Amino acid sequence: MNLKKETLVKKKGIGWNGMRLKDMLEQSEQLFRETKRYWGIEKLELREKDPIRYERIFSSLRGGLVNARETALNISASPIVKEIGELCFALYTPEGDSIVLSTGIIVHVHTMSDAIKYMIRNNYEENPGIRPGDIFSNNNSIIGDVHTADVHTIVPIFWEGELIGWAGGVTHEIDVGAVTPGSMAFGHEDRYGDGLLLSCEKAGENDEFYQSYLKKCADSVRAERYWLLDERTRLAGCHMIRDQVYRVIQEEGIETYKQFIREVIEEGRRSFKERVKEILFPGTYESPRFTDVPWKNDPTVSAKARRDLIMHAPLTLKVSADGELHMSFEGANKWGYHSFNCAPSPMQGALWVQLTQTLIPNDKINDGAYYATSLKLPYGSWCNPDYEKVSTTLSWHFLIPAFSGMIRSLARGYYARGYLEEISASFPMTGNILQGGGVNHFGVESAFTNFEMSSEGTGAMYFKDGEDCTAAMWNPEGDMGEAETWEVLEPLLYLGRSIKPMTSGPGKYCGGAGIETVRMLYRTKQQTLFNGLADGHVFGSAGIFGGYPGNAGYRHSLHGTNMKEIIAKQLPYPTHDGDPENSEVDRLVQARENVFDKIATAGPQLFEEYDIYVSVHRGGPGLGDVLERDPALVEADLNSGKLLPRYAESIYGVVAKQNDEGKWQVDHKRTAEKRKEMRLNRLKKAVPVKEFMKKERERILKRDFIEPVRDMYQSSMELSSEWREKFITFWNLPEDFEM
Amino acid sequence: MTNKNTIQPRILAIDAGGTMTDTILVNEEGQFVVGKAQSNPEDESIAFINSLRDGLNYWNLTLEDAVPALASSIYSGTAMLNRLLERKGRKLGLIVTAGFEDYLRMERGIQTYLGYSYSDRLHLVTHRHNEPLVPRERIFGVRGRIDLFGSEQIPLYENEVREAVHKLIDMNVEGICVNLLHSYVNPEHEKRVKNIAQEIIRQRGADTLLFISSELYPVSQDFARLNTVLVEAYAADPSRDQFKRINRKMRELGANHELRVMASHGGTISTEAKELARTLVSGPIGGVVGAQYLAKELGFENVVCTDIGGTSFDLALITGGQFTIKTQPDIARFMLKLPLIEIDSVGAGTGSFVRLTPSSKRIEIGPDSAGYRIGVSNPVSGLSTVTINDCNVVLGYLNPDNFLGGDVKLDKERAYNAIKEQIADPLGLDVYEAAEGIISLFEDHLRNEVISRVLGKGYAPENYRLISYGGGGPVHVAGYTAGLNFEDILVPSWAAGFSAYGCACADYEYRSDKTVQAQIANLEDNITPFAETINSAWRELKDRVIEEFAKSGVKPDQVEFRHLLRVQYVGQLNDVEILFPGDEIKTAGDVQIIIDRFEEAYAKMYSRSARSPELGYLVTTAIITGVTESEKPKLPTEPLGPATPDTKYQETRLVYYKGNWEQANVYQMDHLRPGNTVYGFTIIESPNTTFVVPKGYKAYLDAHRIFHLSPE
Repeated sequence: MNLKKETLVKKKGIGWNGMRLKDMLEQSEQLFRETKRYWGIEKLELREKDPIRYERIFSSLRGGLVNARETALNISASPIVKEIGELCFALYTPEGDSIVLSTGIIVHVHTMSDAIKYMIRNNYEENPGIRPGDIFSNNNSIIGDVHTADVHTIVPIFWEGELIGWAGGVTHEIDVGAVTPGSMAFGHEDRYGDGLLLSCEKAGENDEFYQSYLKKCADSVRAERYWLLDERTRLAGCHMIRDQVYRVIQEEGIETYKQFIREVIEEGRRSFKERVKEILFPGTYESPRFTDVPWKNDPTVSAKARRDLIMHAPLTLKVSADGELHMSFEGANKWGYHSFNCAPSPMQGALWVQLTQTLIPNDKINDGAYYATSLKLPYGSWCNPDYEKVSTTLSWHFLIPAFSGMIRSLARGYYARGYLEEISASFPMTGNILQGGGVNHFGVESAFTNFEMSSEGTGAMYFKDGEDCTAAMWNPEGDMGEAETWEVLEPLLYLGRSIKPMTSGPGKYCGGAGIETVRMLYRTKQQTLFNGLADGHVFGSAGIFGGYPGNAGYRHSLHGTNMKEIIAKQLPYPTHDGDPENSEVDRLVQARENVFDKIATAGPQLFEEYDIYVSVHRGGPGLGDVLERDPALVEADLNSGKLLPRYAESIYGVVAKQNDEGKWQVDHKRTAEKRKEMRLNRLKKAVPVKEFMKKERERILKRDFIEPVRDMYQSSMELSSEWREKFITFWNLPEDFEM
Repeated sequence: MTNKNTIQPRILAIDAGGTMTDTILVNEEGQFVVGKAQSNPEDESIAFINSLRDGLNYWNLTLEDAVPALASSIYSGTAMLNRLLERKGRKLGLIVTAGFEDYLRMERGIQTYLGYSYSDRLHLVTHRHNEPLVPRERIFGVRGRIDLFGSEQIPLYENEVREAVHKLIDMNVEGICVNLLHSYVNPEHEKRVKNIAQEIIRQRGADTLLFISSELYPVSQDFARLNTVLVEAYAADPSRDQFKRINRKMRELGANHELRVMASHGGTISTEAKELARTLVSGPIGGVVGAQYLAKELGFENVVCTDIGGTSFDLALITGGQFTIKTQPDIARFMLKLPLIEIDSVGAGTGSFVRLTPSSKRIEIGPDSAGYRIGVSNPVSGLSTVTINDCNVVLGYLNPDNFLGGDVKLDKERAYNAIKEQIADPLGLDVYEAAEGIISLFEDHLRNEVISRVLGKGYAPENYRLISYGGGGPVHVAGYTAGLNFEDILVPSWAAGFSAYGCACADYEYRSDKTVQAQIANLEDNITPFAETINSAWRELKDRVIEEFAKSGVKPDQVEFRHLLRVQYVGQLNDVEILFPGDEIKTAGDVQIIIDRFEEAYAKMYSRSARSPELGYLVTTAIITGVTESEKPKLPTEPLGPATPDTKYQETRLVYYKGNWEQANVYQMDHLRPGNTVYGFTIIESPNTTFVVPKGYKAYLDAHRIFHLSPE
């Protein structure tokens, strides 16, 4: 026994100078705690001595990353990866800190970092062992990932017997073998429905996957062909990164490489702080957000999930005078038996994604930014569950609205500093997500996830409207793909894909519009389809400086239609739903069952041939007072169909009429009068803040809210005494107040 | 100058740019002259004649003497691209599948950031949609649906077609484009739309042009196909009139051949060709075609083509004598479906700006550039930001008095001060150290691009020769090839005009593509359906090519046809182009040849570990190319002279290299004779380019006036 122990102690680690990885990680963390600098580095010696050489090493490494992604993209079969670009690579230090990264869904730069650190902390070095040529797979969100749909491949990089880093790649899968088809199935209660789970599993050695691993994956998922090609995509990319690292070491020497990777992260940390100091104004910014899960009476979801609830994300952003950024969700309410819970790793990843789109959009980002920020996630809440078996397949449903407040907070910071061109009213939800599966039009059992949702309207900017159908919160490089490509995967015929009216958030400048598609099932007997990532009763985002949010959505599906007869008789069929209060789908099609409600996120539902599925997407939120919008812009909105005529006056105070050719023209005189009248009405309605607060306080004391709102606040108070204190103090409530 | 009587100009290449129209005349010996004239977008034939006259002056020839002697004339130009960029094309109407009337307002998300730098791709507030080529009110949807299998799911609602055509004619459109979903697999609905439209156009006495997607570009991907048809109708087709004018002028001057246009697939096509949009970009293509021709003439197969201009570094590979073709390129922020030679363009040229990032003081090169304005060293540029050219001037690599043959005088001190203030002082570096550092960073960046392309395809530099051209290529070639053991590094003495030269080397070649989606059956099974799908597509495409050649009076027996396929693993989205060594698929053995050739090409292109034969194979596209004889320039051949250059022409100047000042020998390129070898540090100057041979290198000028750079 003793002897065995001794050999263990004596055994040389695979880290630097014979250290064990675990010790390296601990040392790194200790040095950061003590010095607040990465590896305690005081002087950026390499950089100061030879800034040119430093830059050359960086560009060599990053060139390798970008090239790996571009080449690997060509291997994947899945349009999600190939056309939408849901793929990303990064290079890490031995301790799992990112050094350089490619473009793509860079939320995962951090989630892979967490996965590597998990392996180190849990002593993978001993068991199962980490050797040159090994391959690890992970998609466990509690360890480090967003959801099972995102699969990591992680490859250790060795040089002369020492582990000198890791290459990681991630892709979003079309199906993960969850209880229902699609990549982000939901409606079930907990992790046991989330699909194939890979917990930093050793998946291969000698640069090849184990046959047993591939067999297991193929047997566990639908659309296995895509899965297998994506495995190869990630592995080929990781190997290209490894080769590039070898080239750099051959040219620069291993010692320089080692020094470089630490300095470049410390430098990333410092320059992040400089950037924050330069562009933001110190202070505390608050911007809470909510979203709904209206499932109390929804038969599509499992029994435990049947509750009406609202997610609470009380986001606070603190910018310190020396350029540190601290974000907190203190006061978030409890996790639940649904799939929208979110582990800390993706929350951290989301922070990273938002930073790269806003504060630090450059090719020099790395985990240095992580070391200059902090994120507080209350334990037991939806964003840091205290139960490891929660379902997380669709964390984005909570995460996206939660982070919209960050963009509005940054916007206020930019405003204070005068960086007006950086201001955005934030992003909307990224739904509707159309996913599902069944026996498809090729006659085989399959599954699909349509990524049109990567192109939602963007938020209004300070000088202009947002862009229509352009990006998603999680990927600025959005792309809705081609209808002909999606039809290869989906047994749903496009009857139309168009810009949806009234999706832009109104304001002095409007958000970009969202799209909608009308799909008809064909060449299939039955499909299981979802509606999701969609707000119905509560706006998942908000406008800024007086702007309104973009649209909340709805669900509209027709089962048992007369489409066959319509086609045979050459009667008009719907190409869009258009104005939901005068739905074209309802006007033209008769159905046995017409599902038309605000349950915009709903679990698996059965559809048959000739059934119709409407997919409504989101527009971006608006910026500024609607009464300040240039009437000429309102006129253009009317003529483009983005704005329904009845809202020109009620929202914007713009009086317009159609000319003989059907074009809308503003009556400027009447518009000026109308706007004046509206401003006077505002004044009439206005009450002093004190009075307003008094009234609201009475409502709170009477608990005069619907049940999900009461539940939400009660849950927040139970989980956080800090938030409870804040709430009670703000509203001057009795100490023993309960919702 | 050469004796007038011995000169017989044979080939004329025209490069009509936005500001200048260049003509390159090549004689029977392969010698050439360049003529220049101000461009005239209103009537390109005027600029063309002026430029041609200017070029002929060098040989003391008149238009009337020279033109009848010409064997071929090749046009390349930017008029179409400018028409597109400036949105000055035709007034068009558009008929699409009902429900897709918002195509151009929605675009695809990717078009909001195409061509952006890495930073801006991340930086969401910079993303913008393109201004549509057709406004929403001139886009009409017609109901009806063909599915991906080619089956009619919903019949065409013909009344809607009639209504749309009438409305578009009411709006006085010059042309109507038609693009319906899955028309590439079953064009029946589009054909019907065409017939109805023709009938109405006739009835109403209109002269509206029709552009039908399944006739022009029968390939999958509705949006990219639509873009291609629109670009054809909007920007490319209107150039036909200009071509007619040039052709008429040429004929008046006694020409007995017709003008051809450089096309994106690497061949030249008639001005009457159906798919004119593929002549939209021809600039960088010329160089690759020229390199391919050079390789063939000199007897080697693998070439890395590198071209440095003011704004970009263009890189292409020729492997086994062939360049690769991509079928979904993006041009001017449009996703298109056209065959285009695969050229990677990196936003790093000699005019690229150099800056320090404000917060971290790290050096950034590009992506924007001064382009033709050169840099701060150009006193009339109005620029204040340092460029790569400025560094080259300060280091002594570029001669400030001989830039563009002395047309632009550069000011070394201005460049010095700018580098000092903007880069050197903030970094605490000496100015020369900083300038050299920037150049090494720049060359490193290019070197990374070169090596990643070569290695990414599964090859090593040892398997390739590298050709460097463009005005900036020879200045940096030693730097961006350092440590890469290329078999040889070639710098043609006509590097600056190499792209135009390349256009003159192009084959007269048509290429026609059609999406087929034929899955390769099990070899034991009946292969007839698979074979028939492809054979019939090939027949159709061959007819198209024959038809195109017929417009120029070329008969089928004068044409060499090649049968190609694009193949992928079933389910994958990236196809690989292979040549089928016959003209028809007859046996299982033929199918096996397709599989073998695909597997071989795939493994080279991607990674061997990505091979997935278990998925099966899908032929996505059938392709026919037809080539007919055309005259090409000969390589100039001169007798070899002594090994040492004539020192009477040698000058010297100081250059800064690897931290030291070195005495460099300077030669004018014209003064070097074939057979000469120069040793670094040597600078060879010509009016349009400078060739830097650093210490430790030598350059040998061969009988064809091509330099060969190698370590000493």
